[in-house]
Amino acid sequence: MEILNDADLVSRIASKGDIQAEAELCRRMGHRIRLYGLKHLRNTEAADDLMQQVLLTMIEALRAGKLRDPEKLASFVLGTCRMTVLDTRRNAQRREKLLGEFGLQSLRPVALTMPDLDEQRLAGCVQSLKERERTVVILTFYDEQSGADVGRFLGVTEANVRVIRHRAVRQLRGCMGAVA
Amino acid sequence: MSCANPLDAMLLTDYWLGALAPDDEMRVEEHFLGCADCSAALEGVAALAAGIRKLAGEASLTMIVSQEFLRRAADKGMRIREYPVAPGGSVQCTVTPEDDFLIGRLAADLRGASRVDLSICDEHGIELARLADIPFDAGSDSVMWQQSITYAKAAASGSMVARLLAVQESVRERVLGEYTFIHTRTMPGPK
Repeated sequence: MEILNDADLVSRIASKGDIQAEAELCRRMGHRIRLYGLKHLRNTEAADDLMQQVLLTMIEALRAGKLRDPEKLASFVLGTCRMTVLDTRRNAQRREKLLGEFGLQSLRPVALTMPDLDEQRLAGCVQSLKERERTVVILTFYDEQSGADVGRFLGVTEANVRVIRHRAVRQLRGCMGAVA
Repeated sequence: MSCANPLDAMLLTDYWLGALAPDDEMRVEEHFLGCADCSAALEGVAALAAGIRKLAGEASLTMIVSQEFLRRAADKGMRIREYPVAPGGSVQCTVTPEDDFLIGRLAADLRGASRVDLSICDEHGIELARLADIPFDAGSDSVMWQQSITYAKAAASGSMVARLLAVQESVRERVLGEYTFIHTRTMPGPK
């Protein structure tokens, strides 16, 4: 298939019911929706469920010609993602309550996993950071402490924490070979 | 199909950490959901974040941590082996296969210190490494030093001295405390 942009694919699906266009759009959007899910749900299985649900809703809407402006696909997908995450959270709260009531700890989802990274190199890169930068990075990424909490520990403002974090992440990206 | 207005890596990092205002967060999401380049860049940020989480969870870094960090680690079910030491004091220590974090709680009067270094020395007091300008809470009565659990589990029996030093420009370093750790290996390994 020739390289088409997302809006072209949307038009083909709506006007011709193009199955190849559907497959290509699902491939592209699935990847992005999964990232959205990982960010908001912090769980790979939940992110995969979100991706499947949003793609189904998207294809259903496109086939029915409900998306009038193909350029608005990202907005439509974002709206669907938000609604689906809200539903997921409501269900999760209910599930947590039941897990608590019945004590079924083994049913809890596994922790987030991501694509492989050169772990040895990353360890060297993190260890080469200045002490305050390393602490900020670990407290932020591992512990998910807020900038305000980290700032209280370091005796600096939240804005300073952000500056330290940015400097550290830029150095880490450079050390890992990414363009800063 | 390259992006004409690529999202900055720091903006994506703030997004991933939930540090953006709701409107900015929505703008980022609307952009990357429609952009292959920026979603790929976001995946890089997510992978880095996941790598750091894993690294920190393995406790293989030598660093200073906060009391809050340890509290949260304990809440996650991590087993923390902690040795409190007074200035001038020594402690018999070890580490077992079940331990997840190894912490030296170095008691010190930190009031008035603007910069503090942690000097790690051999048993004769010769400096082997230095953590310069460590983060510390001036209102606290101690510094929480995380030793690499990977290193500690492999280390032979022996002694190590840690020194907390208050450092000021054009003034000699002032020792806030010296702490001796006498490690006894309880796990099998090379001599």
